[in-house]
Amino acid sequence: MKPLGGARFTFALALLFVFAVVVGVFVGPASLTPREVFAALTGGGGPGAAIVWALRIPRVVLGLLVGGVLAVSGASLQVLVRNPLADPYLLGLSGGAGLGAVLAMTAGVGTPWLVPAAAFVGAVATMGAVYALASAAGGALDGRVLLLAGVVVGAFAGALVSGILAVSASQGARSALVWLMGGLGGVGWPGVLALAAYALPGLVVLAAEARTLNLLAMGEEPARHLGADVTRSRRRVYLAASLLTAAAVAAAGIIGFVGLVVPHAIRMLRGHDHRVLLPAAFVAGGALLVLADAGARTAFAPLELPVGVVTVVVGVPVFAFLLRRWTARSSS
Amino acid sequence: MAVLRLSARSVLSIVVLGALAACSRPAGRGAIVRVDDWGRTVALAAPARRIVSLIPATTELVFALGIGERLVGRTRWCEYPAAARTVPDVGDGISPNVEAVAARHPDLVILYASSADRAAADRFAALGIPTVALALDRTADVRRAALLVGALAGVTHAADSLVAAFDSLRAVVIAEGDRRHGPRPKVYVDVWAQPPMTVGRGSYLDEIVRAAGGDNLFDDVRASSATVSLESIVRRDPDVILVLQSDTTRVPDLASRPGWGAVRAVREGRILVVDGALYGQPSPRMPLAARDLAARLAHIGPVR
Repeated sequence: MKPLGGARFTFALALLFVFAVVVGVFVGPASLTPREVFAALTGGGGPGAAIVWALRIPRVVLGLLVGGVLAVSGASLQVLVRNPLADPYLLGLSGGAGLGAVLAMTAGVGTPWLVPAAAFVGAVATMGAVYALASAAGGALDGRVLLLAGVVVGAFAGALVSGILAVSASQGARSALVWLMGGLGGVGWPGVLALAAYALPGLVVLAAEARTLNLLAMGEEPARHLGADVTRSRRRVYLAASLLTAAAVAAAGIIGFVGLVVPHAIRMLRGHDHRVLLPAAFVAGGALLVLADAGARTAFAPLELPVGVVTVVVGVPVFAFLLRRWTARSSS
Repeated sequence: MAVLRLSARSVLSIVVLGALAACSRPAGRGAIVRVDDWGRTVALAAPARRIVSLIPATTELVFALGIGERLVGRTRWCEYPAAARTVPDVGDGISPNVEAVAARHPDLVILYASSADRAAADRFAALGIPTVALALDRTADVRRAALLVGALAGVTHAADSLVAAFDSLRAVVIAEGDRRHGPRPKVYVDVWAQPPMTVGRGSYLDEIVRAAGGDNLFDDVRASSATVSLESIVRRDPDVILVLQSDTTRVPDLASRPGWGAVRAVREGRILVVDGALYGQPSPRMPLAARDLAARLAHIGPVR
């Protein structure tokens, strides 16, 4: 498959973005007519106003942010650990976030705000532990060591979660896991703004490191020879990507697949330049998650599917198609 | 059956006791024979005297039958009645700790009829401990469970009168509900906040809401509990939100949940906090819960 040209790629991305936003705002289990949604959007009130403004629009914005953040974080970590299987949760963050959420629930402080905050604290603590462990093995945060440290710390946190669930007398602890399964419904505007505030610095740091990521993708040695401060860049990328993921977990739980597959899809479509890849992954990841969420809300209405189920069920065929075309091109 | 049991008991005590000790199961000609909710035959040589209840609802039921003192074990989730807490705790009810249960030397273990308990039932059988599996989820199950447990414990009269009282009170409450004027209030049952979880058609709480003269907001959902979208709650516009809590003095702040301000009942404060111990598990007190709810719904008054 030939990489798309710049203009065509940008156009396709913009189209996907607009399509996702329109679907996200107009489609839902309340089955408002397009006319009712228009009336609500233009301030005309009507039956749909509360649904559109209080529920759908914050959800769409949150989906764009969470999906985007996960895709960017995944793209950066794939380079950092030099492993195509890397996703934002690989380095132990899901275990840490789960531990934080379960502890908060067990302590009986499971308010809608404290659980995400505790999950964030848990993820950041995990990040600190992984960082300390990986740094002890050498200053440059070697990819293999980072990977092992992340998996080990994540397993530790996961074991604690299982242990707490087994002996805890609180039904709430189990519910923490339901929350952790992920969804965009639990956050209103304050949560969206909080995520945006956390995400912006991380995104800026990763964007600034995009050129170094290009060098790192070629390998440690070549990057060093080409003048990159490998040690400093690796640390920055790790911390920025982990903070982004922790913020995304706090906002929406753990949503798989977006951070793993969107970066690969963009690489297949557009190539490996991270100065293009990162912003494109942000837009595509966000759009994919918003579409998946619209499906999760609507497919079995009034029931709601976990959005992670839809991202995988819809994402895998699309990815398989891209993979076939890409491998066909590579072998010819 | 009762006649058969009486005549058989004396014979059994003399002839079969020796055989029982050697045999891992009660002898084939048990004095009490019933079929449980897995379709298995449960045979007891004599009425159960040492019962371990692995379902919170049956713990309540055993007390309601007046034989609470025969309980020698209960789950850690059993909180009603208060006396249940003095019964030794054997841990979880589903996938129970077989060794902890066996250590109580029960002559009957009441299991929830879940496939997760099949393995435990087999191991109890290997230990020679009789088990009865009950699918205790709804109102009708309470009647069946009361009769079954009553028979196995040799208190059929207590079980019969419990069921009779239950049926007549339930009929009265339902008749009261039907006589009420005006539209039936739409009730959203708040099982869990995020993601929003509620109960579907035919669940125990759905039955209570219906008997109290209300309509469960999601009675079109077939699962007994389900995750629903907040958007559909807003669209269906419940008249009342029902929250189960152990502490009924504290009204939860639903308006602080993100997005819930879009629900009219939340904005207008039409939230009913009810006793989780009374409403939360299939119970002989179901008619009381329904009457309690009916009174509270009447107190809130007509919404439109």
